[in-house]
Amino acid sequence: MSGPLLLQSLILGLLLGGLYALLAAGLTLYFGVMRVVMIAHSAFLILAAYLAWFFTAQTGLDPLLSLVITVPLFFAAGYGMQRALLSRLRPATLTMMSVLLTFAIALIIEGGLGYLFSGTQRRIQLGYSSASLELWGARIAVVKLVAFGLAAVSLLALYLLLKKTRFGQALRATIQHREAAQLLGIDTDRIAGFGFGLGLATAAVGGTALALDATIYPSLHWHWIGPLMAIIVIGGLGSIPGAAIAAILLGVTQSLLQIPMGTTWAQTVFYLALFATLMFRPQGFFGGRLAQRF
Amino acid sequence: MRFTKTPTASKRSRATLAAAAAVTLASTLAACGAAEEGGGDDEIVIGISLPLTGDFSEPGKGIQRGYEAWAEYVNANGGLLGRDVRLEMLDDQSSAERVAADYEKLINQEQVDLVVGPFSTRLVIPAAQVAQDYGFLFVEPAGAAPEVFEEGFDNLFYAAPAVANDHYKLLAEHILAMPENERPKTAAYASMDDPFAQGTAYGLKDALEEGGVKTVADEVYPPNTTDFSGIAAKIADSKADMVVGGSQYQDGVNLIVALQQLNYQPKLAAFSTAPTETEFAKAIGDKTQGIIAPTGYTTKAAYPENQEFVKFYEEKHGEAPGEDEANAWTTGQVVAAAVEAVECAEPDPECQSKLIDWLHENEVETVVGPLSWDDKGRPQSAHMIQQWVDGEIKIVLPEDQAEAEFVFPKPAW
Repeated sequence: MSGPLLLQSLILGLLLGGLYALLAAGLTLYFGVMRVVMIAHSAFLILAAYLAWFFTAQTGLDPLLSLVITVPLFFAAGYGMQRALLSRLRPATLTMMSVLLTFAIALIIEGGLGYLFSGTQRRIQLGYSSASLELWGARIAVVKLVAFGLAAVSLLALYLLLKKTRFGQALRATIQHREAAQLLGIDTDRIAGFGFGLGLATAAVGGTALALDATIYPSLHWHWIGPLMAIIVIGGLGSIPGAAIAAILLGVTQSLLQIPMGTTWAQTVFYLALFATLMFRPQGFFGGRLAQRF
Repeated sequence: MRFTKTPTASKRSRATLAAAAAVTLASTLAACGAAEEGGGDDEIVIGISLPLTGDFSEPGKGIQRGYEAWAEYVNANGGLLGRDVRLEMLDDQSSAERVAADYEKLINQEQVDLVVGPFSTRLVIPAAQVAQDYGFLFVEPAGAAPEVFEEGFDNLFYAAPAVANDHYKLLAEHILAMPENERPKTAAYASMDDPFAQGTAYGLKDALEEGGVKTVADEVYPPNTTDFSGIAAKIADSKADMVVGGSQYQDGVNLIVALQQLNYQPKLAAFSTAPTETEFAKAIGDKTQGIIAPTGYTTKAAYPENQEFVKFYEEKHGEAPGEDEANAWTTGQVVAAAVEAVECAEPDPECQSKLIDWLHENEVETVVGPLSWDDKGRPQSAHMIQQWVDGEIKIVLPEDQAEAEFVFPKPAW
């Protein structure tokens, strides 16, 4: 194993981890706000990727511009989905039933994409898709850097929103203790809807970032949901910083393990880490006490 | 007169025999009610089962267009042995169980005179088994994986230039013929975990390793892989003189882009399938400099049969034929050549075995050039090698078909 390859893999791992972090953030947010396991998160991710691809194929404009449409659209869809569907589930069985409900939504999205765009693999055609910058002998692809930048900006914005605004305080209060938040006059139903919309908006950004440098096809979301679920459990359910740290660590580990183990076996790192977490620290390494309630 | 088809019992298992007896009974009963199926004296009926729905429906329909165009062409030119050709097509829904039943039905119930093959290895093997049981000749347009030729069929002929492992044969020969100090010394391989894709890359790998080109990286990735940066990093780090991809389509595109992102500049880059697709250049942002691909068919090949085929097909469909259409047409040509030579097209074992024997001993001129086969039905030609030169893909090998000079070392991408 040579030094340059190690550095190159480390950089690739960090870039990949950044994308994982953004995608896992949304997933952990749903769980934090509502105790909902959102299987369809990665399906929305692929939907956003398809919208970005379709936007570019039709208009010839940069896929990043599609965010202007997809982010508000996904926010509204998330709000609507929470108010119209998920809030109707009985609280006692919410977590389990949400798996079924969102599983169905994932299938509907996958089927719809297959119907509209066929199962053919798609890739956005970009003039700068193979451009790269040099850093100490390693190469950083521009598209990966853009994706990482998108992830970093969105995560920072999410963090500031949650920490610095009244809405964020209300959302965090809802996460921490729903009844107490209601007693303080917070409309927790509305807040939960907004929280869900926020989660889906991250899927819009994540999907666009993903589409910049990857092939997409309708069933691709199954490939993503496993690792993302693993990340949020390892990071501690409901903890956004926890998910981000776990995402970066696992992204880097996966990338480095590819050197000795190859692509196929390196993917197992998520599941090994998940087993280890559930065995030794089921509440996750960074999160709060949420997991212990179940 | 027609014969009823009763294959010799020694060749067949009891289960098949029982099944055949049941089918024969059923067909006899059916024949009582309906008019005799199959061709009269004035037509030759060719039975085909194709995956018109299901997983392989896209290529299946391509094969269908090829067969239909071929039959039309033959009928417009006086037919076979003076008789019209009629195609009897069934849809096997891409299912291996269904395809075997379909060929049983075609042979027993529809009483076709000849059969030809479906699309792809998974369906070709069960179909060929049925044909073998009844002693039928079985020429097939798409079953190139090694398994097809290891089942002990003596009636099977693959109607394309070469099996997967021989796709890069001309390239291997060309590289090994270069002067020792000029030719690539090290090679990196990356292949999808798929019998066809691996077959192409490993065929070249075996030939080059034997010729002394060292393998410095050898990666296999699952078919669902979308992130190729890790594989590309290992290949770039190996600094191999040449890179070979056993690719289908998108994996090839993704791998090339990932290699370009790392600014890896090999002297030679060869990928199967992907570079021959029409979308390829746009998909990799037109950075196609010197990329090589083997191809089983191109409309530009100068064989007279091919030019006739392209002209006829374009007039009928308004667009150029693809590889699937060409392979089906080739299958038709191969069967027709045998029929014309031995002057029979009957379902009886005597005629079928004459057709089989003739193909084992003779060469047929087709749209993909002259074809001949070994005793297992492997075609003995080679795929042409194409290379992207100045933004266009051109034939560079073999030299008698070449449209451009082989460019080595390849320009930077």
